[in-house]
Amino acid sequence: MIPQLLLLSVLIFFLAKQMPGDAVTGAFMGKPNVSAEQMEKIRLQHGLNDPWIVQYGRWIGDAIRGDFGQSFVHKQPVTQLLAGRIENTIWLSLATLIVTYSLAIPLGLLAGRWTGSFADQVIVTYNYISFATPVFVFALLMLYVFGFVLDWFPSGGSVDIRMEEGTAEYVWDKLKHLVLPVLSGSLLLTYSTVQYLRNEIIETKMKDFVKTARAKGVPENVVYRRHILRHSMLPIAAFLGYELTGLIAGSVFIETIFSYPGLGRLFIDSIMARDFTVVTALVLISGAAVIVGTLLSDIILRIVDPRIRLG
Amino acid sequence: MTLSKDAVQIAKAENRSFLSMVWYEIRQDRLAYLSIILLTSIVVIAYCSPLFFPVDRVTRIELSRIYQPPSASYLLGTDDGGRDVFGQLLLGARNSFTIGVCVTLLASLYGLAIGLLAGYYGGIVDQIICRILDFLMILPSLMIIIVFVVIVPNYSVLNFILIMSVFAWFGKARLIRSRGLAEREQEYIQASKTLGTPDWKIMLFEMLPNLSSLIIVNMTLTLAGNIGLETGLTFLGFGLPSGTPSLGTLIALAKNPDIVQNKWWVWLPAALLILVIMLCINYIGQAVKRAADARQRIG
Amino acid sequence: MKEENGLRKQWIILVVGLLLAGCSESHSQARVEMELPIFPVEVSNTSLPLEDGEMTVALVSSDPFEGTLSRPFYSGSFDAEIMTWFDESLLSINSDFEITNEGAATYELSEDKRTITLRIKEGVYWHDGEPVKASDLLYAYELLGHPEYAGERYTFTIENIVGMDAYHAGRAKEISGISVPDERTIRVTFKEATPSILTGFWSVPVPRHHVGDVTKGELTMRDLEASDKIRVTPIGFGPYIIVKIVPGESVLLERNENYWRGRPQLQSVVLKTVNESIIVESLKKGDVDLARVPVDQYESVGRLSNIELLGDLDMAYSYIGFKLGTWDDKKKENRMNPNAKLATKLVRQAMWYALDNESVGMYLYHGLRFPATTLIVPVFDSYHDVGNQGRPYDPIKANALLDEAGYIDVTGDGYREDPNGKPFILRFASMAGGDVAEPIAKYYIQNWADVGLQVELTDGRLHDFHSFYELVKSDDPKVDIFQGAWGTGSDPDPSGLYGRQALFNYSRYTSKLNDQLLKAGTSEKAFDAEYRRAIYKDWQALMVEDVPLVPTLYRYELLGVNKRVVNYSIDSKSENRHVWRWGVSE
Repeated sequence: MIPQLLLLSVLIFFLAKQMPGDAVTGAFMGKPNVSAEQMEKIRLQHGLNDPWIVQYGRWIGDAIRGDFGQSFVHKQPVTQLLAGRIENTIWLSLATLIVTYSLAIPLGLLAGRWTGSFADQVIVTYNYISFATPVFVFALLMLYVFGFVLDWFPSGGSVDIRMEEGTAEYVWDKLKHLVLPVLSGSLLLTYSTVQYLRNEIIETKMKDFVKTARAKGVPENVVYRRHILRHSMLPIAAFLGYELTGLIAGSVFIETIFSYPGLGRLFIDSIMARDFTVVTALVLISGAAVIVGTLLSDIILRIVDPRIRLG
Repeated sequence: MTLSKDAVQIAKAENRSFLSMVWYEIRQDRLAYLSIILLTSIVVIAYCSPLFFPVDRVTRIELSRIYQPPSASYLLGTDDGGRDVFGQLLLGARNSFTIGVCVTLLASLYGLAIGLLAGYYGGIVDQIICRILDFLMILPSLMIIIVFVVIVPNYSVLNFILIMSVFAWFGKARLIRSRGLAEREQEYIQASKTLGTPDWKIMLFEMLPNLSSLIIVNMTLTLAGNIGLETGLTFLGFGLPSGTPSLGTLIALAKNPDIVQNKWWVWLPAALLILVIMLCINYIGQAVKRAADARQRIG
Repeated sequence: MKEENGLRKQWIILVVGLLLAGCSESHSQARVEMELPIFPVEVSNTSLPLEDGEMTVALVSSDPFEGTLSRPFYSGSFDAEIMTWFDESLLSINSDFEITNEGAATYELSEDKRTITLRIKEGVYWHDGEPVKASDLLYAYELLGHPEYAGERYTFTIENIVGMDAYHAGRAKEISGISVPDERTIRVTFKEATPSILTGFWSVPVPRHHVGDVTKGELTMRDLEASDKIRVTPIGFGPYIIVKIVPGESVLLERNENYWRGRPQLQSVVLKTVNESIIVESLKKGDVDLARVPVDQYESVGRLSNIELLGDLDMAYSYIGFKLGTWDDKKKENRMNPNAKLATKLVRQAMWYALDNESVGMYLYHGLRFPATTLIVPVFDSYHDVGNQGRPYDPIKANALLDEAGYIDVTGDGYREDPNGKPFILRFASMAGGDVAEPIAKYYIQNWADVGLQVELTDGRLHDFHSFYELVKSDDPKVDIFQGAWGTGSDPDPSGLYGRQALFNYSRYTSKLNDQLLKAGTSEKAFDAEYRRAIYKDWQALMVEDVPLVPTLYRYELLGVNKRVVNYSIDSKSENRHVWRWGVSE
C-alpha cells in the first residue's frame, strides 16, 4: 500500500507541475500595482522555480512527517483545509451510498425474480433513463421541484447557520440539507447495481444448484432467500468498497449545484488555481480510499464466503 | 431465459459462428431488432449530415438570432451562438459516437494485448503485469484525465480520445487475463505448445478467438459509458476543444437554469438522443451477451 | 452630478451609434435599436427600518468562499465582501476613490505632499472593546512589508514608503518612514510625491492584540495566515460582529452596539454562498435579500415583482491585445519587435474597426456590456474622455485601411496576404470560462474574416485562466492576438498595465510619448486634477491612435435587491452607501 501511494505521489506531482502557470500567477493577476520583482521573490520563497524533483523531495520529506504543505490559495496548511471539508464529503458519500443500496437492491431483486413482468419493465426503463440522464440536469430539476416549487427542503449548504451545534435540531437540520443532494446522486447511481443484480439473479436461476433445490421441492421463496440471494449478493458486497471510492470525485456535480463544500469541488478549484499541494493531497486521498475500499471488499467477501479469495 | 435455451439448441444443432448467433438473438428479440435499425439509421444520418448541413454553415455564429425557439427555418431552434440546434445535434452525434467507438476500440486493444500476455504466459509475467495493474487501478482516473486535458499542448479530438482510452483499459485487462489463465490450461493450447507453434500464433489464432465473445460483450456495454463520460467532462469544462460540437456541449449548456426551464430545445433533444443511443446499445448488448452465454454452454 | 451628466452623454452617443448600426444592417438586427438599460443606484423603499431586522446576502458563486478574513492576506473576492460587514479602513474614500476625512480617522497631507499624518477619532473600538490604536495600523504595514509576507498587497504605494526597502529585505527591524507619536496618531512618509498616494493609501489596521504579534516572534507569518483568529473569530471595528462561520458556506453577524458611526440598523446579517444557477429562485422566494445578478439571468430577475435591480458601471473592461514585442528579463522592461506580425499600426486600427462589439454586448450580454472607447473606464468620471469615440464598428473603414497598408488578397481565397504576398495568418488566444466565451471568440474571428483577415485560435481551443496567462506572459510565438479583461483598481494611473517597466503590459508596447505621459500623470504636478485630466486625455488619444490593444467592452454590475431593503445605495456619493445604514422594513 505504501509503495503504491509513493508511486502515485511521484506521478501526480510530476503531472501537476506540467500544468502551465502556477498559483502565484493566479494570485497576482490583475494586480498591476505589484512589481515583477515581488512576484519573483514569492516564487523563490515557495521554491516554485526549483525543478519538480527537488520540490517533490521537499514535499515528500514533509509529508512523511504529516505536513502536506501549505495551500497557496487558502493560505493555510493542507491538512487543516482538508479536515474542514472531509467531514462534509463523508456525510454526503455515506448517505448516498446507503440510499443507493437500499433502493437498488430491492429493485434489482424484484426485477430479477419476476423477469418480464410489468414491474420488471418499469424498473428496467427507470434504469436506462437514470443511466442516460446527466446528473447535473437531474439535480437542477430536483432542486426546482423540491427546493423551490414545493419548498420541502433547503436549497443549498450543509447546515443552517443559526443552528446551535451539538443540539438535536442541528443534526436534524444537517439531515434535511442532505436529502436533496443525496437523492439527486443516488437515484442515478442505482444503475449498475440494479443491472448487475438483475442479471446475476437471472443467471443464478439457471444454475444447477438452484435447479437441484427446486427439484427437491424447496419452496420458491426459500430458494430465493437461501440460494439465489446469497449467491447473487456476493459480488455486490465486493463492489461496495469500489463504490465508496468513486464517490469522492464523483460528487463534484452535486457539490456544485447544492453549494455543498466538499472535496470534489475543492479538487476542480485547486486544479484551476494551480494549487499544487492541495491537488496532490487530494489525489493521494483518493488513491488511499481506493486501496482501503479494495481491502474492505476483500474483507466483506471473506466474511460472507470464507472460500473466496480475491486477487 | 427461454430464448437462450432455444439458441443453445439451435446453435448446437447448426454449430453456427458467433456472429450469426448474435444476429439470430437480435432477430428473436423485438427490442434489440428495433434498436439495431434505429441505431444504424441514427449513425448513417449523423455521418451523412455534412452533405445537407455544411460544417461551416452549422458552426457559423449569428448573434442576432441566438436562442430562437424551434420554427420552420430552424427545426430545433438555435443555440447560444445562433447556430441551428438540429445541425449541431447531427454533428454532435457524429462526434460523440466517433469518440465513444474509438475510445472503446482503443481501450479494448490495450486491454487485450496486456491481458493476453499475462494470461498466456502466466507466472512471473503475470505477476509483474498484475502488480502494475494493481497500481493503475488505484489511479483516480477522472481526476487524472482532467489534469491531462489541462496539460496537453495541442488539444484535438484525437488527443482527447487518446487520453480517455489510456484510462479505460485496466478493468478489461484484468478480465481478459483471468479468462486467459483459464484457457491456458485447456488441452488445445497445451497441444499447440508441444507441437512447437510460436507463442504469438497461439495467442492470436487460438486463444483470442475463444475470448472474442467476452470481448465483444464487454465492448458493447462500455461503449455507452464512454459516451456518457464525455458529457460529464464537458460540463466540468474539460471536454472537447471548442468548435467540435458534441452532445455533451449541448447538454452542458443546461447548467444555466434559464436554459433548463425556458430554452429546452437547446439541451433536451441532445439528452434524449443520448438516451436513445444508450438504450439501443444496451438492448443490442444484451442480445450479444445472450448469444455469448449460449455459446459458452455449448462449450 | 458630474457623473450623471457624463453617463447620460455616453447613453446618447451609444444609442445613436446603435441606431446607425441598425439601419445599415438587415431587419433581423432590429433588436439592436432597443435602448440600453438605465438602472437606479438606490432602493426606492423609503420606509423606516425594522428595529430587529435580519438581512440575508448571497455570495453568488459555485465555489465555497476561502475564509481568509484579514485584509493583508485574503485573495478571494467573497472574502472581501464578507469583510466589508465587520471591518473597514480608517479613512473613507470619495467617488474618485481618494481618501477623505469622513471615516474613523482624519488625515493631513504635508506641504511637500510626501507625508500623511493620520489621526484616529475618539470612540473607535475593536469588537472586543479594545480601542483601535495607531500601532494597529503600523502593524498592517509591518506585515505587508515583512520579508516573509507572500501575499499580493506589497504594492507600489507600500514600496514607496521611506525605509520600506530595507525592512522588506530584512536589513532593518523597523520601517523608518513610519512613526507613531502617540496612540492615535501615525505619520507615513513616502519617497516620491504622487497622486497615487491619495488613492492607494493603506489605512486598514490589524488588531495586533487579537491576532498576535509576528514582529515580536509570538508567532510566525505562516501561523498567522492559518490562524483561527482570522478564520474563525476575526474581529474588526465595523458595524457588525461575526458570531459564527460555517466554513466555505455561510457567516452570521450581529449588530455592533458600539459602532463609531452610530447604531447599525440590522439586528443580524447572514451571508451565504448561493450557486449562480439558483439565484433567480432564491431571490423570488425571499431566501436572499441582496445578490449580484449574473448577466445571463438579468432578464429573469427583472421579471420578479419583489425585486429591484440596481446597477452601476463596473471597474473593469475587456480587451483584445496585439503582441508587439517581448519582455526583456535582464533589463526588466518591455521591448518592441519591429518585425512583429502586427507591427503595422494601420492593420491594428483596421482590426479594431472590424469588431462588432455592439452586437456582442447587446445579444450575448443582454445590453449589460457595451462597446468600450478608451483605456480609462468611465467609472473614473474625472479622467475618462467622453469625447473620444475610439473606433466603432466600421468594416468599410477596416477594409480601406488594410488596402492602404498593402494587405491585399492576391491569391483570391478570400483572405488577405501580407505586402510581400506571403500568407498572413494570425493566432488568437482567448480564455475559456462562462457560456459566452466560445461564441465571442468565434464571432470576433468571423468579424476579422469578414474583412479578409485569417485568424485562428491558438492550439485550436480556448485556454483556461492559467494556460492563457502563461502563453501571453511568456510572449509565446503561438500568440499574435489575445483577449482578456482587466480590473482597474482604484487608481486611474495606467502605468501598471501599460508602462515600459510593467510586466502586465502584455502587448509589450512602448513609446517615448507613452513614457512621458504616464510619468506626468503621477508627478507632483498631477495633484492638480485639471492638469492630470489633460494628460490622461492625451494618453487615451495616443492609445486609440497606436492601438497596442483594443478596449472592447465596458460592463455593468447588477444587484438584485428585495423591495423590503431600505437605505441601500451603491452610489459612491450617497450617505446610504455605508453598510451600517442598510436595513429592512418588513
